Formats: sequence, structure tokens, C-alpha cells
Amino acid sequence: MNAVVRPQAPRGGLATWATLAIAGLVLWSLWSIDASPERLLKLPEQMVRVLGFFWPADWGYGQTRALPAVLESIQIAWIGTLIGAALSISLAILGARTLFPRISRLVKFISSAIRSVPEILLALYLVPIVGLGPFAGALAIGIHSVGMLSKLGAEVIESIDMGTFEAVEAAGGSRLQAIRFAVLPQVLPEIMAQWLFRFELNLRASAILGVVGAGGVGGMLLTALRYRQFDKAAAVLLITILAVLLIDMASSAIRRRLVNS
Amino acid sequence: MSQSNTSVPAIRYRGAGVTYAGGVKALKGIDLDIPAGQFVVIVGSSGAGKSTLMRSVNGLIPLTEGTLEIAGQPMPDKPGRALRRLRADIGMVFQDFRLVKRLSVLDNVLIGRLAHVPTWRTITGLWPKAEVEIALEALERVGIVDKAYVKASQLSGGQQQRVGIARALAQRPKIILADEPVASLDPVTSHQVMQDLLRINRELGITTIVNLHFLDLARRYGQRIIGLRHGEMVYDGSGETVTDDQFREIYGRPPGDDDFLGGVA
Amino acid sequence: MIAPVRPKPRYAFWGGITLALVAMTAWSAKGVGVDFIGMVCNIGGGKRLLVESFPPDFGFLPRLFKPFLETLQIALIGSVIGGILAIPVAVLAARPVSPNGLVWFLDRNFMNVMRTLPDLFWAMLFATAVGFGPLAGALALTVFTVAVISKLFSESIEAIDTNLPEAICAAGGNWIEMVRFGALPQVWPQYASYLMYAFELNVRSSMVLGLVGAGGLGMILESQRSNFEYERVSLIILVVLVAVLAIEQLSGAIRRRLA
Repeated sequence: MNAVVRPQAPRGGLATWATLAIAGLVLWSLWSIDASPERLLKLPEQMVRVLGFFWPADWGYGQTRALPAVLESIQIAWIGTLIGAALSISLAILGARTLFPRISRLVKFISSAIRSVPEILLALYLVPIVGLGPFAGALAIGIHSVGMLSKLGAEVIESIDMGTFEAVEAAGGSRLQAIRFAVLPQVLPEIMAQWLFRFELNLRASAILGVVGAGGVGGMLLTALRYRQFDKAAAVLLITILAVLLIDMASSAIRRRLVNS
Repeated sequence: MSQSNTSVPAIRYRGAGVTYAGGVKALKGIDLDIPAGQFVVIVGSSGAGKSTLMRSVNGLIPLTEGTLEIAGQPMPDKPGRALRRLRADIGMVFQDFRLVKRLSVLDNVLIGRLAHVPTWRTITGLWPKAEVEIALEALERVGIVDKAYVKASQLSGGQQQRVGIARALAQRPKIILADEPVASLDPVTSHQVMQDLLRINRELGITTIVNLHFLDLARRYGQRIIGLRHGEMVYDGSGETVTDDQFREIYGRPPGDDDFLGGVA
Repeated sequence: MIAPVRPKPRYAFWGGITLALVAMTAWSAKGVGVDFIGMVCNIGGGKRLLVESFPPDFGFLPRLFKPFLETLQIALIGSVIGGILAIPVAVLAARPVSPNGLVWFLDRNFMNVMRTLPDLFWAMLFATAVGFGPLAGALALTVFTVAVISKLFSESIEAIDTNLPEAICAAGGNWIEMVRFGALPQVWPQYASYLMYAFELNVRSSMVLGLVGAGGLGMILESQRSNFEYERVSLIILVVLVAVLAIEQLSGAIRRRLA
């Protein structure tokens, strides 16, 4: 047997301190927002009670009022995504470090700024301008999507191999031609997949916008809850869940095929 | 750590076989007794069934035909507490070491004590002092206790394999299974690891089964050599007497350079 | 020499797709009432609004301090507690480590349903159940975080190398120990990155949850807006913009270091 001395156990470590710090912050936050143990203990009972009100759902209302509203949310999300996709292409190209190294940082910063404003706040400003209704919602989503899609698009462009691009330029093609023939074909499938995913996310955003009068199902839910019409609220929720599930499934199937092509 | 009941073989196969879903027979007609405390080397080309045979000992791959008894007890056929308790008595060493890279060496060895410590203690890391002691002793036995608090990913291949052996040792097993333990190591380190395994077998009397790729290692360290071919046992004898002819029978071809490790211990 | 034949593009398939897209767009545009012309004509109204909103009322800034803090606290609670709860949900939804097929199936569908509802919907529901205020917001974000992280995390877990879990089982570990020592160590860096991502999303969400009564800046925003105090509204939006940008830069930097 060796006569080797056993080493000392080390103390602490970055991960431990970070975890403790975060735990401390969380506890302080809980105390700050008055999430006392008594309130927390009452939670399950309150939630079960409210859940009970939601059954049975008012399906008649679901068909006549909720379904059209959900469809409207889908339409808002679609138009918004289209606007966002169309406008983001040029910003994505301009924001790619590998294509436009001098201005890409500025472009990226602009798209960051655009997407930092939540859609609902954009809608708040658009409603007084274009009126209540879905158009404001579509614009709000469109503008926000430009921010997100151009950042993601720029990242995809930056990740590809620049060999073909250099070859086109070396053969005498202009920058624009090089982009059109060397860059776009490589990035298009993934960028379109990003558009589709954005559509899935925008559907959720458009559902909310009704709260500020920008169309869709959100306002309906808010009103139903405010006036304690829980059966109608249940119908709204269930139809929303169903619609989003279906679209999610279709969209992921298409996205998988796009990425694998 | 001596075996109390030396008349019952540690491992007994009767008519054992493993047939996979597609009809592939990985093992067939295995009749094998391994007495307690023996050091057995299993050789054969890839796909001959070495890995399957080894994994059937601790139930990672269940038999589809025949029987297996460990120390006279039949193998539990369902996953559950009985199987886990059996596995606790069987330590396994892998070709790719299989350590948790982001944990320290000591934490990795403590994994060998999982079956003996309540779950709440293992997942929070509040190991009892006695268990830590066992782990440190295992590390001392393989000569690497000075690295106890080093992150596993910072060790060399040979050192990682020693930790793997220490983890198996910490289980205080009755059987140790080593699945090509030196295939990823250089010749000098390979001999060191094989010598560690042999020493542990002799000092502690733990039945040891080693799958080996290299013929010279097999001859040198194998007290008993079992040759597998196409899932069947085609050779069972001592290490010294394996001739090149018998080798041809096991591997289906004459020995070549790849079959020898070389290097001197 | 035989000239190579150019493969016929699948007209039917791509034609069908294009048709579907056009139809979808037409239907949507009608429903939405796309009216760019009207918008340009109405620019006057927009101009008036902008004038009323600028310059932002910076004097109002001190009154925002407490709601802003509350917003961050809501986001923190939601991210951390949601992150912790997401771990078992993700583990059970990952095929290689889920204990059995039924549990996996139920958990997976549970996860997908939870993901369908936007954060503000949760906020509305919790505000109804426990009353207005930051607790509702914190609960809403917790649930939302579980939905977001569990999906991402379960996909990470499905990609792990199963050799290590096998070794843990071989040493006699039970299912929980197999997950804790064999599966999770392989994906902790990804988990941390998802946690930061969720925090980013939650800071954004918590800014607006107050619009439905769930605490934070949103509540002050709503009260000022209904009083037509547009310079204060624009101040709040500016604060939101700066804060989200800052958190995003910070989070991006941390996630790059983790990768």
C-alpha cells in the first residue's frame, strides 16, 4: 500500500457561490412581492377552485365568437410574419459580418433595438394611428419580427462557407450577383425554416394583442375573465390551444423537411 | 474479501444464448463454469460475442435462452431491486472509461457506492463519511489517491481507467468485468492496467473477467483463456498453451500484427 | 453522345405549395384589413400622437424605480423556479431516460399543450385565481418558463450518449441516480444557456404583464395610458427598450462564455 498522503478537500467554487447568490436573490424577490408562505399555501386551493369554474365550456360561444377570433389571430400572425420576413431579408444581408463588415454592427444594433420593444407596446402606439383592429396587430408583429428575423438571418449567413462567394467575385461577378448565386441558395432553406418558426411564435403574440385592441382572441379572453364568464373563457382557451397545437405540428413537419433538403 | 463458499461457482452458464430481434444469434450454447477468484480472459474477433457475454453477467443484456446463476442464485429476469443488488456486487470497467467528466475523481469513485447509500444522499452529494473512506481506500489501492479532487476530464487516459477500476473496486464487488479495458491506451499504460487488475484479483480474490483484443496480453495475463467465435465457445484452456493453430480457430485467420500490443511492462 | 436530361422540377408539388401560400396570404390580408394607403393617409393622427409623446417625461423616472425592480424580481422568480421545475418535466419527456412509454407520452403532450398558451394568457389566468399583483405575474412566468425550457431541455437530453447512463446502472444505481449522474452532467451547459434565454424572455414579458394586472412596469404603463399621459408612456417604453437591450447583451455574453 502506498504511503501517499491524502489531499485536502477543496472549499466552495464559482458554481457554488453563483448558485447561492441566485438562491438568495430569489428568496429576497419572493419576500418583496409578498409571496409569503401563507399566501403560497392557499394557492392550490385557489387554483383548483378557479379550475372548477372552467368546466363545462360554452361550446356555442366557442363556435360563434371564439373561433372567428382565433382565426383572426392566425391571420394577423401570418401577415405579420410576411411583413417581417420580407423586410428582414435586406437587413439580414446587411447585418452579416461576412458580407458587410463595416456596417453590420450598426445594422445588428438597429435590429436589436427594434426587437427589444415587446409587440404589445408597439401595438399600443399603432392602434391610435391605424385604428383599432387587426391591422395594428399585424403591423406590430411585422415590425417586431423584422428585428428578430434579421438577427437570425444574419447569423445563418455568417455561418456558411464563403468559398463559393469568393469564387463568384473572383470570376468577375458583382457583390449583388455573388449574394444572389452563392449565398442565398445556401441559406434559403434555413431562413425559411426560421420564418416558419417565427410564425409559430407570432401566433402566440397575436393572441395577446387583443388585450390592447389590436385584434385577435386576447381581448375576448380578458373580457370573459373580467366578467367572470368562465365557461366562455374556457371555450376561448380550448380553441386557442387546439389551433396552436395544429399549427405547431404542421409547421415543425414542414421545417424538418426544409432543413433536411 | 475472500469468497466464503468456494464450492459454488461464481458464474455458471447452462445452454445460454442471446438472440437479437432480427434473428441474429450473438451467443449460442454457452456452458461455462467460472470458479470464484479466477482470472479469465475472453478473446475473439469483433462481433464474436465477447461484449454480449460480458453484459449478460450483470444483466445489461438479458439471456434469451438457457440459464445463468451467479453464486448459485439465478439471474433476476426483471429490472428492479434484486437486479440492482446483483449489479452492486459486480463492478464493470469500460474501454471508454465512462467517467462523469465534470465531477472530481472522488465523486466518480463514490458512484461505486450508489447501491449502498440512500438516494437522497447521493443526489445531493451528502455522502456519509464511511462511504467516502471506502472510496479513498479504493483510490489508494490503484495508486491515484493524490488526484482525488481533480476534475476527471483533466486526467490522462491511463489515469482515467484507474479511476474506473477504483469505482468498480469501491463497490466491494465479488466479480469484476473489464470490457476491453486497455483498447484505448498505449502499450506501457496497458500493461500497468492489466497488472493492476491481476494484483487486485490476487490480493482480494475477486473473480475477474477481461475481454481482450491483444493476443500477447491474453497469453501473458490470462490464467484461463476462453475463445469465442460467432457466439460459441471454441477454446477453453490456459494462457500458455494457446498455439497459433488454436488462434486460427478462434479468429478464423492467422495472427497478424494488429493482434499484438507489444511493449514491455 | 447522349445529351443529359434535365430533371423535371416537381411542378405539382411546388405549384401546390405556392398556391397554398398565396391563398393563405389573401385570406389573411382580407381578414386583417391590410390598408397601407389608409395608414399613410392617417399619418396625421400618428404625427399628433408622436408630438404628444415626445419629449419623454424624464421627471417621472423616480416613480418607475420600484415597479422596475418588481419587474426584474418577477422575471427572476419565474426563471429560476420555472427552470427547476422544468428539469423533471424535461427528463420524463426524453425518450432515452423516460421510465416508461406511457409516462413519456403523457408528459410530452402535457408539455406541448403548456407551450401553446402565451405568457399573457397565463398572467390573466393567475390574476383571476390569486388576484392582481406581482404574485400572479411570478406564477405566470414560472409556468411559462417550464413550458419553454422543458421543450428545449428534453431535446438536449434526447441527444445524450447513453454509454454513461449504462455505466451508472452497471454500478447499481437506480433510475434517479442514472439521470443525475449519467444523463444530466452531459447537458448542464445547455441547461444554463436555456436558463439565460428564459430569463431574457421573462424580462421582456414581465414588463408587459402588468397590462393585465400582474404587476411590474406594465401596471404603471396601463394607468398612465388610460390617463392619456403619453410623455410618461413613451418614457416607460424607453426604459423597457434600454433594459431589454442591456439584459440581452449581458445574456448573450454569458451564454457565449458557457458554450
